[in-house]
Amino acid sequence: MARYGMALDYKSCINCKACESACKEENGILLGADNHRIWVGVNEIEGLFPDLSIGSSNFQPSQCQQCDNAPCQSVCPTNATYYDDNGVVRVNPDQCILCTYCMQACPYDARYIDDRTVTVDKCNFCSDTRLIHGETTTACQATCPTKVRIFGDLDDPESEISQTLRDREHYSLKAHLGTKPKLFYLT
Amino acid sequence: MDLSKLVPFNKHTVRSFFDFERSALNIFMFWFSMGLVGMMLAGIGIYLIEGHHAYGVTRQHAWGLLIAMYVFFVVSSTGLCIMSSLGHVFNIKAFQIVGKRAIIGAIITILTGFAVIAFEIGHPVRMVIYNVLTPGLTSAIWWMGTLYGLYLFFIILEFFFLNNANHKFSKIFGLAGLVVGLAAHSNLGAVFGFLVARPIANGVFFPLYFILSAMVTGSYLLFLIYGWRYKMKFPPEVKGFMVTLSQVLGLLLAILMFFEVWRALTAIYGHMPERGDIAIHMITSKNFLIGEFLLGMLIPFIIIVWSKGRAIKAMVYASITGMIGIFFMRYDLVHDTQLAPMMPLKIREYSLPPGLVEYIPTATEWMISLGAIGLAFMMYYAADRFFNLDHDPEESH
Ligand code: SF4
Ligand code: SF4
Ligand code: SF4
Repeated sequence: MARYGMALDYKSCINCKACESACKEENGILLGADNHRIWVGVNEIEGLFPDLSIGSSNFQPSQCQQCDNAPCQSVCPTNATYYDDNGVVRVNPDQCILCTYCMQACPYDARYIDDRTVTVDKCNFCSDTRLIHGETTTACQATCPTKVRIFGDLDDPESEISQTLRDREHYSLKAHLGTKPKLFYLT
Repeated sequence: MDLSKLVPFNKHTVRSFFDFERSALNIFMFWFSMGLVGMMLAGIGIYLIEGHHAYGVTRQHAWGLLIAMYVFFVVSSTGLCIMSSLGHVFNIKAFQIVGKRAIIGAIITILTGFAVIAFEIGHPVRMVIYNVLTPGLTSAIWWMGTLYGLYLFFIILEFFFLNNANHKFSKIFGLAGLVVGLAAHSNLGAVFGFLVARPIANGVFFPLYFILSAMVTGSYLLFLIYGWRYKMKFPPEVKGFMVTLSQVLGLLLAILMFFEVWRALTAIYGHMPERGDIAIHMITSKNFLIGEFLLGMLIPFIIIVWSKGRAIKAMVYASITGMIGIFFMRYDLVHDTQLAPMMPLKIREYSLPPGLVEYIPTATEWMISLGAIGLAFMMYYAADRFFNLDHDPEESH
């Protein structure tokens, strides 16, 4: 099977939040500030006028990093959190006891409580709505007007994401924790 | 079959069950406990209607007062179990009078802890099922929960055999309960210590500190239990025990303060982000300075050192401040672990970049948490009525 990941050309992000809306729509996420699977972080401009640092101001879209070594998975007492065949970290709502230990353990604040199932939920790369039907896109990626998001199979050397990661420098968030994120920020 | 042959207990009618000495203190405690339990029931009612929305917990601060209170109760339980084992497992003479009263205390406090956590875990029944069907063996919560279950089983058997004056078996199950209890309890420390994402909690400190602070908690509780039992008029045998207990507690408090100093210094040194800043915030907070340090450690410590452990009546009162301090230790442990936001960028328009994560417990959380203390009082009263918890000097050990 595949091993899906996402590369983010974050310097092209214009903070339009179309990805956030598309994600909410696609996955039927309830309203409310705490209920979000993906978000766009804002780095404010640094410095005092007129010595402003234009380079410091950028937008950093983010979401669950689909860690290859996911702390949320190791702490789950009932194995409700698991790796699926595509390397996507998923939650089985029938097994989740809502201890919220995974929310403590995730270094990226990627999890939230879904009030419909009363269990913990998170980004699953649109596994239920797209991957399962053989599509290889995600809602956020398909909607992004500036093509920030490149989604694909990291194990396939010919995929766009694999080629991009070979050609361009990139970094991951909190990589020092050893979580092996599958979200890559292109510099 | 006559149950009292199997488990010796005092028979009561409803009237004789409530037939306690009508002193002002007793009547106050009776209504106080009833009030607390009423509060807990009301809190549970609100929770059943509104779910987790009745609590002040958020995405970034998912664990709140109820987790702190659960830790408070299970630490009390392990503490009582460890301190009582000094007598009837390790045969330290002064502690041999403790036995039954401490073990019933340990059973009651862990049951109360379970009662509290049942209203924090979203699906407690599902937990029992999938804990067995699909165990998460890398999860500290799985080990903690499973071992605590086993621990409860062992200490119940221990109490059963103590009550039947079967010293051989009470010792075997006492030892089993102690070992499993220590494992369970350090695993509870590891629930926090294993959090690689949170440098302030990550590391060896919590698993060790939990055992030490359990022993301190157990000592405070023994003072309170015996102070209440003898209404401050202690027979010589008990007096001797309490002086020894003071001295042991003095040593434990000194070690605890030593631990805290090095914890703070290693956390602050080098000002590592999410650790140094949080540690400074922690030790300069009122919760720590007044709650944990002054009430929880310093006041009892000064009384012990000044009186060379002889001021046992003062120590009973100091154990009240001590337990308040212990409450702050548990609360701060849970709260401080979650202080640093994991998502350090501003994510909404018109919002400031996140500072420290804030959390204020709601009335419902207070009702359930404090109410649970009343539940523990009531169970203790019932146990005291039904069983003879005093040490029988005739019994040989
Ligand atoms: S980002 Fe968080 S939720 Fe996602 S896999 Fe990693 S630890 Fe789990
Ligand atoms: S809240 Fe659910 S998914 Fe998260 S650790 Fe607990 S059981 Fe696992
Ligand atoms: S849709 Fe694309 S450009 Fe818009 S906020 Fe999301 S990542 Fe940025």
